[in-house]
Amino acid sequence: MSAPAGTFHDRVEKALHDPQLKIALERTTGNARRKRAAAVEAWPEFSAARAAAAAIKDHALAHMAYYLEMFERNALASGAQVHWARDPDEARRIVVEICKAAGAKTVTRSKSMLGEEIGLPHALAEAGLRRVETDLAEHIIQLAGETPSHIIWPAAHRTREDVAKLFDQYHREKPPAHDVVSMVGSARKELRADFFAAEVGISGANFLVAETGAICTITNEGNAELTTTPPRVHIVTAGIEKIVASTEHALQLTRLLVRSATGADLTQYTTFHSGPKRAADRDGPEQFHIVLVDHERTKMLSELPEMLRCLRCGACLNHCVVYRAIGGHAYGGAYPGPMGSVLTPAFDGLQQTRDLPSACTLNGQCKQVCPVDIPLPTMLRHWRSRSWRAGYEPKIAGAAISIWAFVAARPALYQLAQTFALPAMRLFAKAGWISSLPLASGWTAHRDFPKPPRQTFLTMIRKGNRS
Amino acid sequence: MNAREAIFAAINKARTESGASAAIAAEAQACSEAMKRTLPALDLSDLAALFTARAGAEKVGATLERVAALGELPAAVARYVAANNLAPDFAVQPDPRLRQLDWGALRPGAPLRPDSALAVGIALCGVAETGSLVFHSGSEAPTLYEFLPLHHLVALDAQSLLPRLEDYAVFARDLAVPRNVNLVTGASGTTDIEGVLARGAHGPGRLHIVIFN
Ligand code: SF4
Repeated sequence: MSAPAGTFHDRVEKALHDPQLKIALERTTGNARRKRAAAVEAWPEFSAARAAAAAIKDHALAHMAYYLEMFERNALASGAQVHWARDPDEARRIVVEICKAAGAKTVTRSKSMLGEEIGLPHALAEAGLRRVETDLAEHIIQLAGETPSHIIWPAAHRTREDVAKLFDQYHREKPPAHDVVSMVGSARKELRADFFAAEVGISGANFLVAETGAICTITNEGNAELTTTPPRVHIVTAGIEKIVASTEHALQLTRLLVRSATGADLTQYTTFHSGPKRAADRDGPEQFHIVLVDHERTKMLSELPEMLRCLRCGACLNHCVVYRAIGGHAYGGAYPGPMGSVLTPAFDGLQQTRDLPSACTLNGQCKQVCPVDIPLPTMLRHWRSRSWRAGYEPKIAGAAISIWAFVAARPALYQLAQTFALPAMRLFAKAGWISSLPLASGWTAHRDFPKPPRQTFLTMIRKGNRS
Repeated sequence: MNAREAIFAAINKARTESGASAAIAAEAQACSEAMKRTLPALDLSDLAALFTARAGAEKVGATLERVAALGELPAAVARYVAANNLAPDFAVQPDPRLRQLDWGALRPGAPLRPDSALAVGIALCGVAETGSLVFHSGSEAPTLYEFLPLHHLVALDAQSLLPRLEDYAVFARDLAVPRNVNLVTGASGTTDIEGVLARGAHGPGRLHIVIFN
């Protein structure tokens, strides 16, 4: 599996030179934006609902210790085994040990971003386990030897033509045709036997429900239940911020999460998993493990508290002009787009990732579509100013960037700048300053940021995205 | 300090708020109520009609029919089998309400398999707002009946319909927590290739719901 390589600058450069990528991204995110817009239109009080959803998450986070203890108590009572991990290393070790103790050879996995965040795919491979990704998009990128490029559509960077090539090459039985339905059918056939061969199934969780001790998964394909029901052991890995008070709160958040992600009212399968197989049950795992992972979340409680509301719906990616131009791999972390640019510096350190918070036009779209009203632009600015104060930014670029950052951070000024600042920017460009702007040289060749003839930066990116 | 203690210590350092559990519960309730006030109005005068409209909508994609009583389910299954050119053998969820029906010429004894063509089941209840079927796993409702067959035909008692998701949450509070709660909303599908919806991913490709009185 190849993680994105090179510097952020290199990856952006590469992405902007990839015409297939642009087609794939526009098809997926365009569909997502249209469907979300229709769903939101049918909910007149949607913006009040976003505030109510934010309050539901904030309530759980305000009483995080109380609810996590309640969750643990109820999960233990259901027969689950609860494990705690401070960091990815601890989490991976716990998962691998459970797999080894179960004598596992094959492990099925249903899509989990936390799993990507903690590097689980790699750890399973190192432990000599055969990993079978069962979500269609994860299956596609496993065949391609890639990492996810979107948190809802991990294969958003792949066109249907790409998928057809992969399936023709790797499926035991080639798909009978290359339309989407035939290829979905081909994946169904290909993976069927593995669901029943696996000794361990691993899933993530969209919610941890304190009131019942259950974990909730929200999926479309049916692969999650086929991953978690037949094997002897089910392992859940989840971030501690997934805690909610009750089933009612989980379902209320799901209403917004799904509309924001795919535009549906609910996904096909909303499942609450609680403990192992009961005495009278005819199916279900014998062991049910929940691995609760901190990985910087307790730090974010003080530093970036609103970010912990994130439902991982992907709307901010779909509506981000930068994401739509460069795709997910360019960001270099498990989480791309605006939410990734806030999270990755928290996980991987600001010094190495300080380019990410700059990959932003601060147009505010991400905040507007966020179902839990996370002030993403404010948080990106927080990282920018932290980076300044820490002295991570190159000195030479200082003057130019601070003007740019100051202007860009203020929407009204930014509008003004669109009218008045262009000549000045050309001057900067001549002086060679603009090319030292983070990102700027990546954009210059393709988006003409420093030397826009008559148009503004944003109109050009927008146009670029339509072309 | 072990990992658990370290995590709780870090949380308690960042969040000093504490409170009586009654006060926290009241706050949680207020959050739910605030959300409910934002919900679009629904016509709740005929829950079966609302459920039918939602489950049958294109984006959910179930097919539905109504019969007068559960006793008419075998006839509905026979029609479905004929219309879809299926074999008369199928798996039936081990719910006594289904097992005691007179199936006539149909053969409901087939075991559930990874490639079963048809399984017939019965839902615990339905949620009208979303057109969702609710299953609580147990000896009479194994989870895999909802996921293995290519065609899933489900009987749904009109009396069991609940208006909204919140009403299900309240209803479930009085029941034992099963191993799995499955809210099934339409046939399995995926939008993983270019965001285009395709039916019949790993779960059933077709969902047919028979509402009985
Ligand atoms: S930040 Fe908001 S919009 Fe982005 S993934 Fe998280 S919840 Fe969705």
